[in-house]
Amino acid sequence: MATAEVWLQRLRLQDAGMAVNSTVGQAVPHVEGRAKVTGEAKYSADIMLPGMLWGKCLRSTFPHACIVSIDISRARQLRGIHAVITAADLPDILLGRFLFDCPVLARGRVRFIGEKVVAVAAESLDAAEAALRLVEVEYEELPAVFDPLQAMREDAPRIHDYPAAYAHAELFPLRQADSRLAPPIPNVMSQVFYRNGDIRVGFAQASRIFEHTYFVPPVHQGYIEPHACVASVEPGGRIDFWLSNKTPFIARSQIAAALRIPEDRVRVNPVVIGGDFGGKGSLMDAVLCYFLAKSCGRPVKMVMTYTEELMAGNPRHSAVITHRTGIDRDGRITARQAKIIFNCGAYGAFTPLQTVHGGSHAGGSYRVPNLEIEALRVYTNTVPRGHMRAPGAPQTVFAVESHMDMIAHEIGLDPLEFRLRNVLTEADKGPLGERWQHVRGQQVLAAAAKAAGWDSAKRPCVGRGIGIYDREPGGFGQSSATLTLGADSKLTLVTGAADTGTGSYTVLQQIVAQELQVPLESVTVVQGNTDTALFEVGAGGSRLTHTAGQAAIVVVGELKQALLDLAAQYFAIEKAHVRSVRDAFVTIDGRRTQRVELLQWAAELRAIPITRTATYTPKPGAGITCFAAQIAEVEVDPETGQITLCKLVTAHDVGTVINPLTHQGQIEGGVVQGIGQALTEHLVVRDGAVTSLNLGDYKLPTAMDIPGLTTVLIETNAGPAPYAGKAIGEMSNVAVPAAIANAVFDAVGVRLIDLPIT
Amino acid sequence: MIAFTYIEPANIEEALNTLAQYGDEAKPIAGGTGLINLMKQQLVQPGYLIGLRRLSELKAMSSSVPSPDQGKARWESSAPGGLGIGSLCTLRTLETSPLIRQYAPLLAEATRQVGTIRIRSMATIGGALAHADPSEDLPPAMIALDARVQLRSRTRVREIPAAEFFTGYYETVIQPDELVTEVAIPPQPPVTGVAYIKFLPQTQNDYATVAAAARLGLQADRISDVRVALGAVGATPLRARKLEDHLYGQIPTSAALRHAAELVADMVDPIADFRGSASYKREMAVVITRRALTQAAAMAQCRRAG
Amino acid sequence: MRGSGTIQVNRCGPQSRPLVSGDMRTISLTINRNRVTSEIPDNRLLIDFIRYDLGLTGTKEGCGVGVCGACTVLLDNQPISSCIALAVVSDGCEITTIEGLAEGEPLHALQQAFVDRGGFQCGICTPGQILAAKALLDSNPHPTREQIQAWMMGNLCRCTGYYKIIESIYAAARTTSGESRKQATPSDPPRGQGEGFRRGRI
Repeated sequence: MATAEVWLQRLRLQDAGMAVNSTVGQAVPHVEGRAKVTGEAKYSADIMLPGMLWGKCLRSTFPHACIVSIDISRARQLRGIHAVITAADLPDILLGRFLFDCPVLARGRVRFIGEKVVAVAAESLDAAEAALRLVEVEYEELPAVFDPLQAMREDAPRIHDYPAAYAHAELFPLRQADSRLAPPIPNVMSQVFYRNGDIRVGFAQASRIFEHTYFVPPVHQGYIEPHACVASVEPGGRIDFWLSNKTPFIARSQIAAALRIPEDRVRVNPVVIGGDFGGKGSLMDAVLCYFLAKSCGRPVKMVMTYTEELMAGNPRHSAVITHRTGIDRDGRITARQAKIIFNCGAYGAFTPLQTVHGGSHAGGSYRVPNLEIEALRVYTNTVPRGHMRAPGAPQTVFAVESHMDMIAHEIGLDPLEFRLRNVLTEADKGPLGERWQHVRGQQVLAAAAKAAGWDSAKRPCVGRGIGIYDREPGGFGQSSATLTLGADSKLTLVTGAADTGTGSYTVLQQIVAQELQVPLESVTVVQGNTDTALFEVGAGGSRLTHTAGQAAIVVVGELKQALLDLAAQYFAIEKAHVRSVRDAFVTIDGRRTQRVELLQWAAELRAIPITRTATYTPKPGAGITCFAAQIAEVEVDPETGQITLCKLVTAHDVGTVINPLTHQGQIEGGVVQGIGQALTEHLVVRDGAVTSLNLGDYKLPTAMDIPGLTTVLIETNAGPAPYAGKAIGEMSNVAVPAAIANAVFDAVGVRLIDLPIT
Repeated sequence: MIAFTYIEPANIEEALNTLAQYGDEAKPIAGGTGLINLMKQQLVQPGYLIGLRRLSELKAMSSSVPSPDQGKARWESSAPGGLGIGSLCTLRTLETSPLIRQYAPLLAEATRQVGTIRIRSMATIGGALAHADPSEDLPPAMIALDARVQLRSRTRVREIPAAEFFTGYYETVIQPDELVTEVAIPPQPPVTGVAYIKFLPQTQNDYATVAAAARLGLQADRISDVRVALGAVGATPLRARKLEDHLYGQIPTSAALRHAAELVADMVDPIADFRGSASYKREMAVVITRRALTQAAAMAQCRRAG
Repeated sequence: MRGSGTIQVNRCGPQSRPLVSGDMRTISLTINRNRVTSEIPDNRLLIDFIRYDLGLTGTKEGCGVGVCGACTVLLDNQPISSCIALAVVSDGCEITTIEGLAEGEPLHALQQAFVDRGGFQCGICTPGQILAAKALLDSNPHPTREQIQAWMMGNLCRCTGYYKIIESIYAAARTTSGESRKQATPSDPPRGQGEGFRRGRI
């Protein structure tokens, strides 16, 4: 539509100014701010329904065992207990986001310490716990395996007897990838090869070849809100859910599919989510909660304790990563080969793809003419793993960026110089043959180096290290928006996207206000439930600003068309003679020009409310990748090994920044998560048991653990999100561990090949 | 949470009678920051909790010329200038008290580093002693100050030097019918430097990996008084007597302090955990002890000069 | 595959105490300037009393062990972890939860500052952050950034990375500096050697 395009172009021309009447580019505070600072915001655990009961589970204390018998007779008789269920009371269904391999309650067998075996619904948590104490479970231990390398041996115990028999969703089309599910290697859930070029040729061209192996332990998303859900069953069939899940529509589909009922019998209601970071995309306890509610005829709430989160949530995959790289005489990469062994834990159900896709970054942000990556996801008798901010990338980038540094050191090149020589430029194809536009690799490296004073003098035991990462902005799946013009020129945008705190609703408000040139206050963003909002994939993979934002633009366009139609009708002229200009709508025909405030005028005409809907599904391959380069400066105490993180520079190439406040918030939050993974966090798993069982043992960074942070933004007007925006959510946490490890090496010559760096 | 009966006596006598009545089945609770967690994990399961909040007599602090009308427990003090701290004084009170800063800055320094502001607002000095987590910050400081702990039961009063108070992992000399009622800090020697170093290599919000408290007094230029106590180095806090004996009478040169600190390696028996292996903690105990001694010596030398 | 089975009787030995309490007691307290009288079992935790007995769900439960600070409330103006406190200790006391901070429509300076400066994202830690910050400003109306970091060290946040929390508190302190406050207690020296945003060096 001509009008919409013109609008956009005009905005582009105005980028340099970002001046009057422009809400895009403004540091608009979160729209939901008041609710969050007053305690009014409701999270899943805050939902209270009449007659609601508490659900609690008994969890396995064995990593691998047959369930011989379960005696719940005494538990059932306890006062205040309204339901006690085991797998025997449930249909034989398997849950999953992609691979359906996880039972609702353990059926005949437990595969990790913490797996749910029995569930109760009770009038109080104490009563629930008292009932669980009375349950007797007889287990027969089976041999267990905890290490993925051990699990792949021929003599390893098989955790799943017939992994190839599990149903799964469609394989996600991964670039240059050859995916095999349940290949003939013991306990391997998936094996994916990414290939570009021919590594044999590439290695033959190398003058030196380097190989290093790295170890990354599991870390937890560390959201302060543990998983919680409430299920309520209407007699006659509707099921209502409130759950800490960032993709309500997908949750609805998965629940309906699992229960084999039509989707419209399930309604997922809006709640605020207390932190996601990738970890709140599974159903977790929702289906079980439903069965408890159905069993006792009352709503049931289940809230995980933080111990249960650490023990049985869905933490990040640990990984063993081996990199092999060939370098020519000029210090350029000729070939790279990587093998990544991801520890999947006991079930593959908690991730939405067949592999951990961050493994595809093993080539790094470099010109790699020949690349082969093998990513294995291996079952073990440990806590099932899920997604966490840039899944697979921090592990992979820690490896490749440490590897680059080690090579630089071996060939006598400064690590920055080595990277500048090899980093992607506009002329290059990506390591997997990608054709990128607006490639800013050199610029972010140079900007980071300048801001960090890369070449400046250092005191003894002070070191600087670099890490770089690039990522395509997310764009998969459909987003929708419903826009209503009501009284007093008020606009309401209904979105199905869940609020995980990233500021997505604020960005939507800004976009609508911008597109209609109205004040921010006249736009309200509302999260609908799965009845009232249209299908929305939800948060994930840094897609929301892009996809939901574009849906908002499209729906504004639809509303504008409706108003133009109205004007044409009223003034009895051809629609083609109605134009929209900067701050009003103007009708032009041969004889007269009339300026009309269409929004108000529509109200006067009693034409309101006017509602329009729109959907947006991005076309794949926008051809844009965003770079983030980070430089850490550390001081190491040679006597104690204590690492003080003095400064951190994070340089990003960004498109138009729609909201500098929320954008910067994402960068800062990501950096500190990266610091946690680098220095303080380690989800310790010993003999299959998670031993970091509370936040006193699992150390999240605190306000005293943060360094001075310098953010450099290199703005380009190119990106798939509205106003040429890119994405930021999964950028700033990824390369931090590598930057810090490289800095430690620079400081004291000690190379750490595992995390956390202590 | 386990079920229990909560009893809130109005004064010390009632409290002691109640304790005597219920014996092993009862636990006194002050701030509860240690105890409630133990109860939530069902590691401790008392049938009765004796809430101490109303015992205002135990919330007072004074220097050792006690005011006759305060009606609090008193004991003989060897000389003016010491400090009496009621066992229910919160750590926050200690941290901000001008009296403590003046008379026992080492205690103020250690207290300030305990946990978080919320813990310090509720936790009490008596509770910290009774909880006896070997990684706590207060015990090494108290040992280095020659503090004495007063215990009262219905039938007797006794005083235990801090160095003898802790008997094992979360274990003390406290009998089931006893309450910690007061902590006495004797007058400190003149020309004294003190230091408390809590080694936190990874994150500030943690127990010490190892910790050292030191007190050094000088006469002329020689060490006339020395106390060194370590925390998080075993099942109990440790007074490093061998080190003290070794340093007594020496000039606190850096070589002397370094050599003395090395003696600590054989004294400690650290528990390996996510903060470090036993051998790492042992090495760090030596380093941190040396640093604490150095800091205390420097402060003492300043005082001597000034 | 059978053999000698292992019977798991769920971690509870014969000496374990029951969980459901029979004893009830009456407590009276002031919460957010309202007088409240309630009957509770002895073993009721303060956080559960606030959230479930009183329905004030602004106070959040995070870690459950007193570490994360999401459950922070003010007890007689002191910040405490309500998840490791018994409800009985609030008898006769004043409790302030996040719902009680603003008096009427206008937000408290701290709340406004957090909104204006992005001191929150998902918001789950925010009530605790704001109440802890209030206790700080009550005790030290003009804290330096280092002092803010030291005081707030016990309130964990996973979303923001803390930078904007510190800025929000710093800004709120400047806004309220004109108001009369009660006598400030001596301000706390910074922990460690206090070098800006660096962790304390020994």
